[in-house]
Amino acid sequence: MKRWLLAAALTGGAAGAWACGEALGAGTRTLAAEGWQIAWRAAPSPVPVGKHFALDIALCAPAGQALPAALRVDATMPEHKHGMNYRPSVQAKGAGLFRADGLMFHMPGRWELVFEWRDATGSARRLAQPLTVP
Amino acid sequence: MARRHRLGAPAGAAADGAVKRLAALLATVALLAAAEPLPSALHDEDIPRILAFGPWPPPLQPDPSNRVWSQPAAIDFGRQLFHTPALSANGRIACATCHQAARGFSDGLPRGVGLARGDRNTLALHDLDLQRWYGWDGANDNLWAQSLRPLLDAREMGGSLASVAATVRATPALRQGYRAAFGSEPGADDERVAVDVAKAMAAWQATLRSGRTPFDDFRDAVARADREAAARYPQAAQRGLALFLGRGRCYTCHLGPTFSNDEFHDLGLPHFAEPGRVDPGRHGGIRKLQQSRYNLLGPFNDDPAKSTATSTAHVALEHRHYGEFKVPSLRNLRLSAPYFHDGSAATLREVLRNYSELNEERLHADGERLLLPLHLSPQETEDLLAFLDSLSETP
Repeated sequence: MKRWLLAAALTGGAAGAWACGEALGAGTRTLAAEGWQIAWRAAPSPVPVGKHFALDIALCAPAGQALPAALRVDATMPEHKHGMNYRPSVQAKGAGLFRADGLMFHMPGRWELVFEWRDATGSARRLAQPLTVP
Repeated sequence: MARRHRLGAPAGAAADGAVKRLAALLATVALLAAAEPLPSALHDEDIPRILAFGPWPPPLQPDPSNRVWSQPAAIDFGRQLFHTPALSANGRIACATCHQAARGFSDGLPRGVGLARGDRNTLALHDLDLQRWYGWDGANDNLWAQSLRPLLDAREMGGSLASVAATVRATPALRQGYRAAFGSEPGADDERVAVDVAKAMAAWQATLRSGRTPFDDFRDAVARADREAAARYPQAAQRGLALFLGRGRCYTCHLGPTFSNDEFHDLGLPHFAEPGRVDPGRHGGIRKLQQSRYNLLGPFNDDPAKSTATSTAHVALEHRHYGEFKVPSLRNLRLSAPYFHDGSAATLREVLRNYSELNEERLHADGERLLLPLHLSPQETEDLLAFLDSLSETP
């Protein structure tokens, strides 16, 4: 299966500027590429080092494309060449909304939060959010 | 790499108001540094990390998985159980045999010795309520399960669920302690009685809070921008702290109030517990955790909501966990020599030598690239030792 690696367009803007994920509220961050959008909000925020956190996520599809039923969430430290020590669980809440629990950044430094799903054709889609944990 | 500003330089844009005010006060301090030695080796961006090492001591954290946590009768019973040899198979070994108060509740030996010699160094017991995982391999996710483990381990106290329960039932003082702690006589269910014993022991061990240290005084002085108090922290310790936070990158794992992220890492130490037998470390710990009846997802968790079981439910078992061991707290280090999971470093100087001359060939091929030999100079070694020494209580 061809794997599409999409460069994330980081806006850093509030959810209010986006139709996708508006319901997530203040502190929402957004990613977009090729018509797909991810809006996510961490709880607690900002994400603490060495503590579990959760994500509320909205996934929005390009016009005319179906939303996937499942979403995978993970995170890695590219410079350290390892991921988290925990495997998040992701619960679909319908209409493109998801809740991810059990994440933890166990070290300070640069992390990459990764969202992956398959579109209606079965192709893998991916958006990644760089984050620096102080 | 981000540019590091010496303390007293303008605060970074990301700093919050409190940190900016603190930096401004410390800027004043820096201007006077020529007249009065101050944290000149430290930098503005170090301040949030320094503050995150405290305040100390924190209050006792709750443990809803243990229904007698923080209850005085259970604490008393737990203290009694911890010191009695009656629970061991030969009647001569108590928890306190290896966990000696004068040694920070460790034993001073490279590897623990109960009924037989074990594979690992005896961990000190303090600030246990602040930990997520217990033991060098994190095989337990709660303090009562960790307390039950040595009672049943053939190389430690060599008991069984039945022998522990029978001893409590048959020993008047222990039976009385159980009744006071749990409000009933020990029942016929051996496993239930033994787990209750462990919960009482956990209740007492959770009260073992390490005391304030010279570093805590410095940290609090920084928090309130108290120039005179901050200046009393030795210059060598300040330089060691700067190295700890900076080039040494010790902070990457040794962070927060206990100076530990409470996770697991491979330091390139030998993986063999003895010739021909590997200590799997965290990999084996996760497997034991997931098979245990006494983890936080199991039937003995007193919290119906299992509200503290997030780590247990999500922990990932991966190949890279082979040879990883827990990042220990650095508080009261002075009391708990020797060091490392296998007790292979007799002194803190030897610990630093390991980081200075790190054996990269022993690290996993997929290991962490942050672990590089530090090549510490003699002065840097002395500075780090001064800093580490300041993390122990003043006698």
